[in-house]
Amino acid sequence: MSDASPILRINALTKTFDDFTALHGIDLDVAEGEFLAIVGPSGSGKTTLIRLLVGMDDPTDGAIWLRDQRIDVIPANRRPTCMVFQSLALFPHRTVGQNIEFPLKLRGVAAKARKDRALELLDLLRLPRDYYAKRIQQCSGGEKQRVALARALAFDPEILFFDEPLSALDYRLRKTLEKELKDLHRRTGKTFIYITHSLEEAMVMSDRIAIMRAGRFEQIAPAEEIYARPVSPFVAEFMGEVNFLPLRAGMVAGAALSSAAQAALAGQGGTLVLRPESLRLNPQAADLTLTGTVAAAYLLGSRMQYRIDSPAGELTVEVLREDAVAGGIGAPVTLGCDLAALHLIAEARDAAA
Amino acid sequence: MKTSRLASALLVAYGIAVLAFLYLPLVSVGLASVSKARYLSFPIRRYNTEWYGEALASDTVQGLLWISLKVAGIVTVSSMVIGFLGALAFARYSWRFRKPFQKLILLPIFFPQTVLGLALLMWFNALGIVPSWKTAIVAHLVWIAPIATLIVSIRAFGFDPALEEAARDMGATQWQVLREVTIPLLMPGVVSAGLFAFLLSWGNFPLSLFTTGADSTLPEWLFAKMISGYSPLVPTVGMLTVAGSAGMVAAGLILAWALRRLRPTT
Repeated sequence: MSDASPILRINALTKTFDDFTALHGIDLDVAEGEFLAIVGPSGSGKTTLIRLLVGMDDPTDGAIWLRDQRIDVIPANRRPTCMVFQSLALFPHRTVGQNIEFPLKLRGVAAKARKDRALELLDLLRLPRDYYAKRIQQCSGGEKQRVALARALAFDPEILFFDEPLSALDYRLRKTLEKELKDLHRRTGKTFIYITHSLEEAMVMSDRIAIMRAGRFEQIAPAEEIYARPVSPFVAEFMGEVNFLPLRAGMVAGAALSSAAQAALAGQGGTLVLRPESLRLNPQAADLTLTGTVAAAYLLGSRMQYRIDSPAGELTVEVLREDAVAGGIGAPVTLGCDLAALHLIAEARDAAA
Repeated sequence: MKTSRLASALLVAYGIAVLAFLYLPLVSVGLASVSKARYLSFPIRRYNTEWYGEALASDTVQGLLWISLKVAGIVTVSSMVIGFLGALAFARYSWRFRKPFQKLILLPIFFPQTVLGLALLMWFNALGIVPSWKTAIVAHLVWIAPIATLIVSIRAFGFDPALEEAARDMGATQWQVLREVTIPLLMPGVVSAGLFAFLLSWGNFPLSLFTTGADSTLPEWLFAKMISGYSPLVPTVGMLTVAGSAGMVAAGLILAWALRRLRPTT
């Protein structure tokens, strides 16, 4: 994040429902023009957080600031932000044009200016201009997404919030819209805050990812950093396939360490995080070496994934198809990785389970 | 699923039998109204339509028609308003006593109408209110307003609460949300509720019998004339009552068509 003062600042935000605390005094700064994805499993507090941010619910404690203005005390309809809902919430009794114009109509904008703005937004979202008079029911899933985006942008909000708007779409359309959304963010320069449970979506689109767990932020960082250097086993697992190797007094049971690795890990304990693509099959040289046998093999398009039974436990390895193991299931293999691919978490894996 | 010829024939026969069961009684009333004979007998030897002219010219029938229309009209409008507001409380908003309200609001539907009529008559007497067509409106509303609430509630349950939240998020006040989103989306349910309310009030006999006092509605008059003083005017007025119901259904269908036409098109 840049050093400039944030457009959105959350201070010690707490939300409780009777005896249940959904958000535990969380803090967050969002830079102007940033695309922040908030990711977490179901029940982690993502939706509660976004509802507080847009004003659909009131926080139990804490404050939300938009630049110098405290907005958590302002009703939802007077906040200079807008949200794209999970269901899109397009009005079925209005045309595409009337939907886009709706926030402008509420602000007393003249009919001619409203229509001009709606057509401008149709252009921006790459929808044909004759869609202006089209019924919402006549639009496809992707077109509805674009109409919802156009409507959210109509009154030029300071921040656009997204509550899992792509979750109901099929895979191919979702992939297309992910790229379009990223492109729209670049073209508008707006601040986007995007809630999703899909890590893939978050990684494709966002500048930073905030991982939520049980009402708290577990880690907030760019995708590459979270992927390569997760702060906890939970984050490591949440970010995709991962191998955990327990490290005790600088030793990994069942693995051989090079002298460089022994020096780097000397006396340390915790959990070593190792991504499947960082492990190499039958390497010439490696800082960490393990032996095992192939227990299962899966074809993942251009890559192969293997489950390897090893003295250190079951490991997952991903290699290019041309590097596939000869011999198939039961074939003996040696696995290895470089020291740079190892990431040490002080926390033991069981503590996160 | 493909059906055999025998199964297809049986299904057609079943369909005809069901329709005959539903509509033959009404057809017999229609035939009685155009028979010259005092009582209906088959085959009908002589037809005439003079009873229709007499019914339409009769001050008594016109008076009955006017009372029935007033009662059904006021019950319809009131039920639409009560049904709309009740549905908001029933289905749209969370509040402390919502669950008991949801149960209690529907309870009058299950009361036997004769018992409900008797209870209301006793209340009117206890309160010193002289029963008339106006008290019949109250009685009809006690039974019909819950039905209207239920009809509008089904519609209210069917629409995404995010629509109202989205409107609010885009800058709408509570009133604007109601005007721009909630009312237009609930309107088909409100119109259906109004249609049902009219038909249920227009043809209601048990509640009217107990609560109209010296006044009388068309169904009450029909019953009274069947007991004593039958003439072909009775089935004729019966058919006119049915025509009134059919007219209301037609009006409802036209209104639904008009609402669809008013909706955005390409």
